[in-house]
Amino acid sequence: MAENQYLAPDAKLPYCRGCGHAAVVRHLGQALERLQLPRRSIALTTDIGCVGLADSLFPHLHTVHTTHGRSTAFATGMALAEVVLEPGGLKPVVMIGDGGAMIGLLHLVHAAQLNVDITVLLHNNFLFGMTGGQHSALTPLDFATATTPGGNWTPPLDLVALLRAAHAGFLARHLATDAALDATIAEAIAYPGFALVEILELCTAYGTRWNQLTGSKLKEIIARQGYQVGRLEAEAGRPTLRELYRRAPPSRPARAAAPEAEKPMTASPLTAELRLVVAGSAGERVQSAAALFCRAALAAGLYTTQKNDNPVTQGTGFSLAEICLSPRPIEYTGMENPDVVIVASADGWKELQANGTFARCRPETLLLIDAELEAPPAQGRLMRLELRRAASPSRAALAGLAAWLVLSPFLPDAAWQAALATLSADRRAEPSEALRIGRELRADRTGTNP
Amino acid sequence: MVAEGALAAGCRFFAGYPITPASEIYEVMMRELPRRGGMALSAPDEISSLCYCVGASLRGLKAMTATSGPGWALMIETLQYALMTETPVVIAVVQRLGPSTGGATQGAQGDVWLTEFATSGGYTIPVFSPSTAAECHDLTIHAFNWSERLRTPVVLLSDKEVGMTTEVVDEEALSPPAVVERERFAGEPPFLTYGFTQPEEVPAFAAVGGEVKVAVTGSAHDQQGRLRKNAPEVIEVLRHLERKIEAHAEEMELARTDLDPAASHLVVSYGITARAARQAVAALRREGVRVSFFQAQTLFPIPRRALEGALAGVENVLVAEENLTGQYRAVLTPYLEGKRVVGINRIGGLIAPGEIVQAVRAAEA
Repeated sequence: MAENQYLAPDAKLPYCRGCGHAAVVRHLGQALERLQLPRRSIALTTDIGCVGLADSLFPHLHTVHTTHGRSTAFATGMALAEVVLEPGGLKPVVMIGDGGAMIGLLHLVHAAQLNVDITVLLHNNFLFGMTGGQHSALTPLDFATATTPGGNWTPPLDLVALLRAAHAGFLARHLATDAALDATIAEAIAYPGFALVEILELCTAYGTRWNQLTGSKLKEIIARQGYQVGRLEAEAGRPTLRELYRRAPPSRPARAAAPEAEKPMTASPLTAELRLVVAGSAGERVQSAAALFCRAALAAGLYTTQKNDNPVTQGTGFSLAEICLSPRPIEYTGMENPDVVIVASADGWKELQANGTFARCRPETLLLIDAELEAPPAQGRLMRLELRRAASPSRAALAGLAAWLVLSPFLPDAAWQAALATLSADRRAEPSEALRIGRELRADRTGTNP
Repeated sequence: MVAEGALAAGCRFFAGYPITPASEIYEVMMRELPRRGGMALSAPDEISSLCYCVGASLRGLKAMTATSGPGWALMIETLQYALMTETPVVIAVVQRLGPSTGGATQGAQGDVWLTEFATSGGYTIPVFSPSTAAECHDLTIHAFNWSERLRTPVVLLSDKEVGMTTEVVDEEALSPPAVVERERFAGEPPFLTYGFTQPEEVPAFAAVGGEVKVAVTGSAHDQQGRLRKNAPEVIEVLRHLERKIEAHAEEMELARTDLDPAASHLVVSYGITARAARQAVAALRREGVRVSFFQAQTLFPIPRRALEGALAGVENVLVAEENLTGQYRAVLTPYLEGKRVVGINRIGGLIAPGEIVQAVRAAEA
C-alpha cells in the first residue's frame, strides 16, 4: 500500500475477499490524503456491522465506535458542539451500513435538515452481513437474502432521494469499485455541511452466494432501480449550521422577574397555612389569575405553591389551580381539605365534583361560587357572587380571588401593585379591572351548605 | 430550577424532545442556552436527544437532556453506551404515571427501578432525587459534578409534582455545591482513552477533536479503547466501571435527616413524598410520638452510611413513596435487617401527611 499518513501502512483489512468495504477503506485513505487535513480533525464514527471494524485501520484519527444505527446521531452531537466551540474544525466521518441506515433513518434525515457538518459513507451491500445476510429496507427487488430466500418483494428505499427531500447539501452515489470514489469522498468531507455518499457493493459472504452476482450484475440491479451514479442533485448552496444557528432569531426575553422576595412590600397578617382551589373554564384566565395572586402573596412575604390542571387539549373544558399559602415554607402541596374553593364556571364546577374536591370540603370551607351555578355537593359556607356577569368570564377567577380577599384581607393593596408591576404595561389593565370589580362584589345570598 | 441548576453547573449543551412533565426544562434551556454561548436543540426523538448529548460531551461540553418515563425507555441503549464509553451526561427524568404512556399530567414515583436497573450488566447509575424546587437546583449541580468527576451518566429523578408545581424559592435555602470539572488529560501521549492503574480510578478525559488521539467504543474494550474479547484486561475495565462508583459511594451520599435519638420509628422517603413525610413527622412529634425522619436525596448508590446512622435504636422503618410496589423500600430492605419494615404506598395521587401519621400510629399499636 502506498504511503498514507492516515491509513495504517501495515493495515490488514479484516474483510472477506472481494468485499467492497476494503475498497471503501482504501478510497477513504486516499481521500484524506488528497485533503491533507490535520489527522486530529477527523472523528471516524463507525456503526455496528462489518463497517465498524474500520476504526483500527486509521490509527491516527479519533475513532468513535457506536451503537447500531446511531453513529449518525453521535457524530451529529459532536458536530453540534463544534458550532459553539472556537476554533472549530472537527469533521466527523460516519461509516454506516444499509442496516444501520434503516434503523437510524431519522438521524440521517435530521442531520440533513440541520446541514450539520458530517460526512456519511453509506455502505449499501443490500443486506446485514455480520448477522447472517438478512435483508434491509435498501435491499433491491427480487434480491435473495437469508430472510427473503425467494427474493425481496418490498421495493427498496432510495435513501438519496429521501435525503434530497430533507434538503441535504451534498449527495453522491458510487460503486465501491469506481475509480472516482476517493475524489467524491474528498469533496464530501470538504463540503461544509451534511454530505452523504452511498456506496453500492456486494457482500461476498451472502450477496454473491445467493444471487450469483458479478460486477456487471450489480450495474444491472442499479439500472433497474433507476439509480443515478456520481454526484447527484442536492441543495449545495445551503447556509452552514453555524450560520443558521447564529442567524436564528434571538430568544424571547425571560419572563418578568418576580417581586423582590427578600424585602416584602408589606407583611401579610396570615399566620397559618391556607389552601385554595380556583376552578373555571379553559381560556378564561383561571391559571394566570392564580399566578398573579401568588406573585402578590410573594410580595407580601408569603410562601406559595401553585399546581394547575386542565384537560390535555388545553383550550377547552375546565381549568383549575390549587394554591397553598403560608407564612412558612410549604411542605405538602396537596388539597386534602381546601379552606377556600372559588368556582367561576360550570366546567370548573363539574371538574371539582369529578376530582373529589367538593367531597373533601369541611364545614369551615368557604365556597365562593358564581351566582348562576347550582349549590355544589359540598360541606361549607356557601357564598354566591355575580362573578361572570359583573366581571366578565375572563375576569371571573381574579374577581373571585379579590372578593375573597375583601372578606379575609391577607394581601394588602401594595402587594397587588407589586404583582401587577411584574406584568408588561399593556397587560395590566385587564387584571386591574378584574380586581376592582371583584372588590366591589357583594354576596347576594349566603348560607351554610349541608 | 433544574434548568437553573444545569446552567449554574456549566451545562453548555442541551438536546430535548417535548414530553409532559419535562417540557419546562426543555423550554428554559432552549431560551437560555443560546444567549449564554451554548447550544440547545430540538431533537427528532429521545434516542437522538441523548445521542446528541453524548456526542457533545465526547467533544468536551457538559451536556444534559430531560424526559419522562416513555422517553427514558427510548434512551436506555444510549445510557448504556454513555456508561460503557465513560462519557459524562446528565438526564433529568421527571416521572409520571405509568406504565406505557400512562398519565401525562399525573404524578408518580414509579420509575425508580426503571431508572436504576436500566443497564445490561446491572451497573450502578448514580441517581439524585429532589423534593423541592430548591433541591432541584442544588441536586442538578451535584448530578453534573458527579457525572463529570466519575465520567458516567447520572440521573436526576424528579416527578410531575415537584417539576410542575410553581413555588416560592427562598434563595437563602439554596446550598449549591462548588462546580466540578472533569479531569482533563495533561500528560504526554500516548493517551489511553480508558487508562487507569487502580480499578477505582477515573480515567482522565481528552476530547474527541483535541490534540491527543481518542478511541471511543461502546464494545467491550481494553484501556486503549480497542475491541477485545475475553482478555483479562477487558474484564478489568468492566469491573472498573462499577468500582469507580462504589469507591465514591459514601462521598456521594446526600440525605436530609431529622433524628430523635429516642425514636422508635423512622420514616424514610424521597422526592415529592418526603414533603408529606416531613409534615407528618412534625405533626406526630406535636403529639409526643418519638419519630425520626430520613430523606434520601441520593437514591443510588444507596446512602448506606447515613441510613445506618438513622436506624440506631429504631424498631419500625416506614418507607413512603408514590408507587404501587414499594420500589425503593425493596432495595433498602437488605439494609434494614432486624427492623420491622412497613410500606406506605399509593398510586394516582399524592400521599397525604395524614396517611403517614396513621401508618406510624398503627405501627405503635
